[in-house]
Amino acid sequence: MIIAGLKARPVRTTVSLLAVALEVVLILVVVGLTSGISDETGRRTEGVGADILLQPPNSSLFLALSNTTMPIVLRERLRELPGIKAITPVQTLVNSSAGLEIIYGIEPDTFDAVSNGFIWHKGRLFNAPDDVVVDDIYAKAKGVTVGDTVELVNHKFKVCGVVEHGKGARLFISLKTAQEMTGQTGKASLFFIKLTDPDRVETAIAEIKRLLEGYGVIPLREYARLMMSNSMPALDAFISSVVFIALCIGVLVIFLSMYTTITERTREIGILRSLGASKTFIVTLIFEESAAVCSAGALIGIGSSFLIARIIMAVFPTLTILITPDWITRAVIFAVLSGIIGTLYPSLKAAKQDPVEALAYE
Amino acid sequence: MKTLLETAGLRKVYTAGKIQIEALRGVDLRIREGELVAIMGPSGCGKSTLMHVLGAMTKPTAGKVVIDGQEISGMGDNELTRIRRDKIGFVFQKFNLLPTLTARVNIDIARYIHGNGVRSNGHDQHLREILRLLMIENKMGRKPSELSGGEQQRVAIARAVANQPAILLADEPTGSLDSKNSEVVLNMFRELNRKFRQTVILVTHNPELAAFTDRLIEMRDGVIVGDNDSVSWDTEGELAQPAPSV
Repeated sequence: MIIAGLKARPVRTTVSLLAVALEVVLILVVVGLTSGISDETGRRTEGVGADILLQPPNSSLFLALSNTTMPIVLRERLRELPGIKAITPVQTLVNSSAGLEIIYGIEPDTFDAVSNGFIWHKGRLFNAPDDVVVDDIYAKAKGVTVGDTVELVNHKFKVCGVVEHGKGARLFISLKTAQEMTGQTGKASLFFIKLTDPDRVETAIAEIKRLLEGYGVIPLREYARLMMSNSMPALDAFISSVVFIALCIGVLVIFLSMYTTITERTREIGILRSLGASKTFIVTLIFEESAAVCSAGALIGIGSSFLIARIIMAVFPTLTILITPDWITRAVIFAVLSGIIGTLYPSLKAAKQDPVEALAYE
Repeated sequence: MKTLLETAGLRKVYTAGKIQIEALRGVDLRIREGELVAIMGPSGCGKSTLMHVLGAMTKPTAGKVVIDGQEISGMGDNELTRIRRDKIGFVFQKFNLLPTLTARVNIDIARYIHGNGVRSNGHDQHLREILRLLMIENKMGRKPSELSGGEQQRVAIARAVANQPAILLADEPTGSLDSKNSEVVLNMFRELNRKFRQTVILVTHNPELAAFTDRLIEMRDGVIVGDNDSVSWDTEGELAQPAPSV
């Protein structure tokens, strides 16, 4: 009877399905985008290959939001600590002309010592102040190659090399150029530190904290986890807002759909009541119809989310959309919840209808 | 014979805005098991209201209504629903089949609501006999829109008797049919009554329909004005006293 009821009103059923699917897509894609960006950035930073990340006091974990620096000479003091294999300073800049892109200003030789070097696709390292090395994803997204000019932070740079992605940033310039552009000569935003024995990370961190009180010192393997959205209150608020809006969309559409359904089927409800169907039977029937719509809509939404994520990442290769089983479960729960809330009033109204009046309804 | 339906001093008052309409003004009635009864009267005489009360679709305003030994005046909605489900089968003028479902599913819905979803051999056998009697065995896969008026009404009758109710109530069952189909349907009611001892109450304004029944009760202005019942109430014991107004 439920399937027949849904098939009898195909347009309304389709619209309801799509609304629930939209609700699920909204949640999964937006949350996936925020989580994906955070997660991917975190993994790329971990991909530098260092064991420890050192930042000046009052720095943000989000390198794009951090503009504090520390004297590069500090590394001489760090080199005296046992177990330090290599230290490389990095000065970060943010290019905001087309999205938010982090640029690493690096010392090639010490960066290589920490990261085991770039994997080259094309070209070479910078040997001029306005040279820039880009990763393969950036090159594909922007359609640039060796010899092309790009504008970063209001400066023109020439692409001198393309490397494999995954070493922190997507754009690399010389440390000296980065320092001059930021007016931070002799300083760096952070140090990547490699140890001779990675198992000594906790000990080394303790020693660095004793040496440099107040500085931010974290094991790099923790960085990706810390970057995940549930560690960031502002992002949590954003995600909660998106989820709330999606839930409201679902509730309103389901409410409208079920309300018009029970109005149109007043006579049918009267027939069922005359056959001896209880109020509980009527309420259950309406809820089952809503559940069918929400379940099917959720499934369509999940499938569409994966498809949309693929399309977005194909069109914008620098973006990552992370759709996790945890959020798929939550999205389905939200879809069902919106169905329950949206169906409650219409179902109770249907059940309360007087059978005699319902049968006389035209 | 066992009394299936009994009313004493039955009154029903509707409120329409500020106006009170007294549809039934003291109806005393007794219907026995196995009877084929017509309740006849002009439009507005209260016969449909009487049917709704006898069918536990609505409660009386005052008076006593006993359906198969159960007094319904003080019952709540759940109890009335149970009475409807267990004791009553309805046939309506406009058939009232569920339009999106096949004839088979329309009948199955009634059985499902009754709790006969798990089929027993006895029930299936009874239903097969009913479908054969009503000549709709080969129409079960069709939706109401694919059936003629007469066929739809016969499906409605099958739905109404599928659970072997104590009482079959039919409100103007031939009102939407032509004369040929009307005769077929009325003969079906008589067959149900004769073959299965189904108690049938037909509500109608059509005097020709009365010829198909064994007993005619006439109504006018909310009261019974005629009853050609061959059995005297006195032979069945005391007349039930009307209950105080509700």
